[in-house]
Amino acid sequence: MACDVSSAPELDQNDYDADEQVKIICLGDSAVGKSKLMERFLMDKYRPHQLSTYALTLYKHTATVGNKTVAVDFWDTAGQERFQSMHPSYYHKAHACIMVFDVQRKITYKNLANWYKELREYRPEIPCCVVANKIDVDLKVTQRSFNFGKKQALPFYFVSAADGTNVVKMFREMIARAVDYKQNPSDFMDEVLQELENFDLEKKEENSETDEDGLKILPRPSPSR
Amino acid sequence: MSFEAKRCGVKFSPPAIILIYEHKESKTLRKRTIPIRNFSKFSDHSMAAERLKNHPRHQTYLEGVSQAQLEKLHIILRDHLQGFSLEHSLASFSLDPDEDLNKLDDDRLARKKNQMDEVFERNRRHRDAADFVYDLEKDFKSTQAKCSWDDDSDDGF
Repeated sequence: MACDVSSAPELDQNDYDADEQVKIICLGDSAVGKSKLMERFLMDKYRPHQLSTYALTLYKHTATVGNKTVAVDFWDTAGQERFQSMHPSYYHKAHACIMVFDVQRKITYKNLANWYKELREYRPEIPCCVVANKIDVDLKVTQRSFNFGKKQALPFYFVSAADGTNVVKMFREMIARAVDYKQNPSDFMDEVLQELENFDLEKKEENSETDEDGLKILPRPSPSR
Repeated sequence: MSFEAKRCGVKFSPPAIILIYEHKESKTLRKRTIPIRNFSKFSDHSMAAERLKNHPRHQTYLEGVSQAQLEKLHIILRDHLQGFSLEHSLASFSLDPDEDLNKLDDDRLARKKNQMDEVFERNRRHRDAADFVYDLEKDFKSTQAKCSWDDDSDDGF
C-alpha cells in the first residue's frame, strides 16, 4: 500500500475546503489511459506534479464554471492502482470521481465494480462517471451498451484520448458537477465539516468590521498557495 | 525538416541505434548509426531514450521517431545485456487482452504500455493538424445491443 499523502508539504488537503477549489480523482486499472485523458484535456498547459513517493500525479487546472473561476486539482494514480486499492487520503475530500476502463480489455471493465465499491466506502455521495476509453481502436464498441453504473445512474462516456472524442465534454461536465456537489454536499461528513466551518465563521463575524452599507466583511481564510 | 525517418532498429555490438532516413533535398536514403554509450543492464530505458531524443547531434534526425520506439529499442538492448534472447524480448511486448496488467511490475507494465502507445500514436489527432478540434464531441446513440461483458453478471453489474 502506498503511504499517506497527508505529510506531503506541497499538498495541503485543507485547501479543498476553500470555496473556489475542487478535487477530482481518477480511478481505474493500470494502462486504461487515465494520464493520457488528463493530458488530452489540459493539452500543453498542464504542469503535472509528480509526487512519486506517494504514487500520485497531480494536475492543476483553472476552469470557469458559470461566472466563477475554479481551481481544479486532478488526482491521478501513478502505479498505486497496482495494489487494487488506493490509500484513504486519495479519496479524502474529493468532490467528484472519474472511473476509466479500456474497451479493449474486459478485465478493466469488470474491475470497475471493485473501484466503485471502494470509492463508495469513503465517498458515498460524490458525483461519479464511467468512461470507456480507446474507442478509436475499434469504433464498433460504441454500438454496444455497457450496463455498469446504469443502476446507480452514473453518466457514461465513450471517449478517445488519442483522437479526442468527448474528452473535453466529459471533463467539463465533471468539473461542473464537482462544483455543484461542493455547493450542495450530500455526504454526511461534508455537512458536519460545513457546520463546523459555519460555527467558526460566526465566531469570527463578531470581530469583523461593518462597512457603510452594513455589509459584513469577513476575514477570508487565505489559501496557503 | 530536411530528414524523414523511415526505419529504426537496434544493433547489439557495439550497441547502437540504426536509423534509415530520407534526406529530403537530395531524395536519397541514408543510414545513420547512433552509438549508445553509458548504457548497462541496470540502466533506465526511458531516461536513456529521452537523452537520445534531446541529443544535440542526433535530435533533428530523430524528430520523426517516437520516444516510445526509442524506449522499446533500449529495452531490447538491455534484455540482451541481461542475457535474454531477442525472441523473449519481442514476446514480452505482445498484448494479451485478458491479462491483468495490475499484476505486472514496472518493467513489464512499461512494455505493454509501450505497445499500446504505438496504437495511440497511430490514431492520435495532433493539435497542429489543420482539422484539429479541441472540444470534439460525438453522440453515440444508445442501443439495445447488450454487451457480452455484462453476461456473467455478478458483483454490482
